[in-house]
Amino acid sequence: MKNIGVVGGGLLGRLTSWRLLQAGCDVTLFEAGSLSVCPGAARTAAAMISPLSEVVDSERLIYDMGMAGLALWPAWNRQLQRPISYSERGSLVLAHTQDASQLTQFAAKLQHHLGDQCGSDYEWLEQSQIARLESDLSHFHRALYLRTEAHLDNHALLDQLLADIQALGGRTLEHTPVQSLQAHRVDTQHQSLSFDEVIDCRGVGAKPDIKDLRGVRGEVLWVQTPELELQRPVRFMHPRYKLYVVPKPNQQFIIGATEIESEDRSPISLRSHLELSSALYALNPAFAEARVVMTDVNLRPSLMDNRPRLERQPGLVRANGLYRHGYLLAPAVVECILAEVLELEASVFTSHITRGISTSLKRSPSNQKPSPSNREHSLC
Amino acid sequence: MSRKPSLNPETQPAFSDTPFTLYGESLSSRFILGTALYPSPQTMRDSISAARTGMVTLSLRRQNPTTGSGQLQGQSPQQDQSQQDGETFWQYIRDSGCRLLPNTAGCKTPKEAINLAEMSREIFNTNWLKLEVVGDDYNLQPCPFGLVEAAAELVKRGFKVLPYTTDDLVLGQKLLDVGCEVLMPWGAPIGTGQGLMNRYNLRTLRERLPNTPLIIDAGLGAPSQAAEAMEMGFDGILLNTAVAKASDPVRMAHAFAQAIEAGRDAHLAGLIHKSQTASPSTPTLGQPFWHQS
Repeated sequence: MKNIGVVGGGLLGRLTSWRLLQAGCDVTLFEAGSLSVCPGAARTAAAMISPLSEVVDSERLIYDMGMAGLALWPAWNRQLQRPISYSERGSLVLAHTQDASQLTQFAAKLQHHLGDQCGSDYEWLEQSQIARLESDLSHFHRALYLRTEAHLDNHALLDQLLADIQALGGRTLEHTPVQSLQAHRVDTQHQSLSFDEVIDCRGVGAKPDIKDLRGVRGEVLWVQTPELELQRPVRFMHPRYKLYVVPKPNQQFIIGATEIESEDRSPISLRSHLELSSALYALNPAFAEARVVMTDVNLRPSLMDNRPRLERQPGLVRANGLYRHGYLLAPAVVECILAEVLELEASVFTSHITRGISTSLKRSPSNQKPSPSNREHSLC
Repeated sequence: MSRKPSLNPETQPAFSDTPFTLYGESLSSRFILGTALYPSPQTMRDSISAARTGMVTLSLRRQNPTTGSGQLQGQSPQQDQSQQDGETFWQYIRDSGCRLLPNTAGCKTPKEAINLAEMSREIFNTNWLKLEVVGDDYNLQPCPFGLVEAAAELVKRGFKVLPYTTDDLVLGQKLLDVGCEVLMPWGAPIGTGQGLMNRYNLRTLRERLPNTPLIIDAGLGAPSQAAEAMEMGFDGILLNTAVAKASDPVRMAHAFAQAIEAGRDAHLAGLIHKSQTASPSTPTLGQPFWHQS
């Protein structure tokens, strides 16, 4: 039975710990801050699994890994002791009249990245069709409907993962900053612990060890109103940001997110607050009476190509760079980590995101899945 | 500026051009590129490289490198120290080797713009500045009054000001009067991709200010529009959105670079004048008379 140290209690650290415990490993999870209130980007995120929306401003690999995530999340959710709210009702993309051209461009970019193969995953809707899906958005004349996208209740998920980790016998050490981390060893202020494998999931906290890692500031607003109801996430075109509104439990909505090249964690700026609020108001003026429940700011751990990366050396795996795609990519990245640590057959994505010498087993030719960057072989 | 054509140097002559000189300094390219809105920093840098640009604009306000990171709950002070810089992104732009042109994007009053200019000078260690003073929120149109006021003060403080202005001649003259040596008139409002909206005004600017470097800044969407501006005799092109938001930004940067060079060559080569009747370039003597009108 392998003895594993996982450093960082965000989404990636929790999911990895949980999967390793399920596989029969001994796991110790280190977190610098609190585990009950996750300080990382996983808490701040809106938690959409939206491969179509995200490919528009990224690349095919993100889409393919996201589609893998869409397949894994429901199955993993069922394995939790108490499954959390997971919604598969797709998402809508809308534009203010003045930004109508951006909606057309959004569709053109979808087509550019995915070709015709995924045509059945999205469609244009007219006013009556929009009204049937979302009665509170019936004043919009045109929308893109991305039918396969999903979203989940991330605050419940983070809590449930922690509960499951502890129930499976995982050792959790919160308020325990790691002073140094290397192959087979984790040093905290008070002790030095040895492991068969160390997994670095610290996000922005790994900056001292990953030279080209940066944080990208994101700001979000939480509002509450009984006057409106949304069944699914709504994307709203904006010249600078990729804005979305996602319905959350208790008549709450999260709207985000700004994207600022800065590692500033100070509270949301008035400008961002205005931009996010006015987007909500433009979506439906009834949002004007909503109560602002909370504002939140965090840093997205990002590499210069905004792609995820696995760094592998004997006794150590570093996983980082999930950028704005934490919930979208985490399942696929965790599968890659597990293949390394448990020496399973490599994931179809391993070769695309791994630096160093992979210890996962080479994929046998019979199982060789299509290359995710190859458009001839769509995973959709 | 002498520039070798990109085809086989054995068979192609090297065309000469006057250097593209702003504030007494020669730039290596007539293409200035913005650094916002790219899918990733890597794509941004690849685009800069494909654009063969010598100068990039950046915005301190939208992307603040000085503030550093606040301390994470539970993090040790030592850990936080190593993250204090928050500079990775800026260093990445600096590493491109391009001259930096900080801008005052989003500022609405001269005071705001001047404060931001001072901060930018300190952080980026340059007194060059793309001055923006926004007068209207909807089309981000420059405020002519605030622009002149801010430019006058900034020139006094030693800045080399490149003002983002409308295509109004009198406004351009006022900016030159207060000490600007370059003007950057819009082709169309920022990010619209409309191209050259008011050719009459732009032509007037060019004809009346023959010795002032004029750079078309903002509003271009297609390389053909950039080529047209260069054909009209403008000295350079500044753009961002048309490249950054293209489906393939790197390739679009390359396309604009070629269009700008082509437009410049066309301007120097001298365009023929349009004429109402056709004048065949090959003799028509051999054609039957019923094919001749």
